[in-house]
Amino acid sequence: MNEERKTILEMLAEGKINTEEAERLLSALSKETETGSDVTKIKSGYKYLRVVVEPGPESENSERVNIRVPLKLIRAGLKLASFIPKDAQVKVNEALHEKGIDTDFSKIKPEDLEDLLGQLNDLTVDVEGKEKIKVFCE
Amino acid sequence: MIPLLLRIRIGRKSHRGVSLWLPLFLFWLIALPFLIALLPLVLIAALILWPSGKGKPILCAYLMIFRLIGCLSGLKIDIRSVDNTIYINLI
Repeated sequence: MNEERKTILEMLAEGKINTEEAERLLSALSKETETGSDVTKIKSGYKYLRVVVEPGPESENSERVNIRVPLKLIRAGLKLASFIPKDAQVKVNEALHEKGIDTDFSKIKPEDLEDLLGQLNDLTVDVEGKEKIKVFCE
Repeated sequence: MIPLLLRIRIGRKSHRGVSLWLPLFLFWLIALPFLIALLPLVLIAALILWPSGKGKPILCAYLMIFRLIGCLSGLKIDIRSVDNTIYINLI
């Protein structure tokens, strides 16, 4: 039995909280534990980010893209990006903005990346039957 | 782990291209002494620029280069179209 669960039960025994409140606290605690174990699985299980682009059934060109990027490299790259001087970051952001990418990569932290990858898991985008884009971790 | 081999293939429509296996460990043997020789210069630059706040980023960026090299292993880029083929794999 972990410490938090024990404290809740002690509070219930002492009459500080009623049974409903104790139930609510225990369910919230179990949800938190489940989420925590998912994050651990993401951190330990996956090594690579894969991007696969395949021609769809209505596609005219037969271009195929298969990219595998080590997650360690992405993390290291993000960390390196945070060391770029601010004036250079502004120039990079402006160049990205011109290309239609409104993202400030210096603001993405390694923790955010873990969350992002956790949500990403197995994303498939079908571009009007022309191309099938799959982004997933393995 | 640092990548030791680079497999590369660039082909065109008329010619599929030859798959080349390049021994990257030989390149690291040359690059590593160069990077280490660069350390005193980086330290001097970091010390000079420390009051302006740019010293720490310079020092960290230098160390991050080694980390980036270490993370390159496993990178694979495979792009195939009717006209061109590009395949890069760091092993």
